[in-house]
Amino acid sequence: MINVLFFGNLAAKTKTREAQIEADNIKTVSDLLKILMEKYPELPKSYYMVAVNQEKVDADSIVKDGDEVALMPPFSGGKI
Amino acid sequence: MSDAVRIQTEDFSLEEETHELMKSSKTIGGVVSFLGTARDFSEGRDVAAIEFEEYKGMAITALKELRLQSLERFDIIETRIIHRIDRIEPSGQIVLIIVGAEHRGEAFEACRWVIDTLKKTVPIWKKEFTPDGESWVTPHP
Repeated sequence: MINVLFFGNLAAKTKTREAQIEADNIKTVSDLLKILMEKYPELPKSYYMVAVNQEKVDADSIVKDGDEVALMPPFSGGKI
Repeated sequence: MSDAVRIQTEDFSLEEETHELMKSSKTIGGVVSFLGTARDFSEGRDVAAIEFEEYKGMAITALKELRLQSLERFDIIETRIIHRIDRIEPSGQIVLIIVGAEHRGEAFEACRWVIDTLKKTVPIWKKEFTPDGESWVTPHP
């Protein structure tokens, strides 16, 4: 299983902070995001960063069984 | 001596943290600090409280990396970074950056760089509680 974490307003949109996704047929972050968007249609298509095992990655990065994948909206910067 | 980089629920003391910083070297000749505090008003709305959420593990790693980078980029002696999470009431302390250097110029620059970079690179999110309900704060470009 792949353990997916939702942060900030993504947790509010999906109404969950965490989800377990079957790792079969998932090779990349992009594959995982497709499945997540089917499961959570309210999830935006872009706008967030992805981390695998706490390292920022891009859509082509490899995801495998047992990984922790975090969907992170932009950090709350505040005005200068 | 407490850790130079921390994420914690409990409040912190500027005086104590400055004292800790000063213990790191007797060559410090200038200390600059930035203290971020909670406002009771945001984007035209009253704010009763704010709440910070971290990505546990990744956030503290990013803060520690930020401290190391500040020590490499600037001619400074020590940097301390303390960020609170969970619920904070208006006027409460949120984040503290303290930089000690031989001279003030680099200390000012490093302190500014650390807080600006922290806001862009450390996985911490803010939620505001207003009379209309609660909402996550999204950054302005």
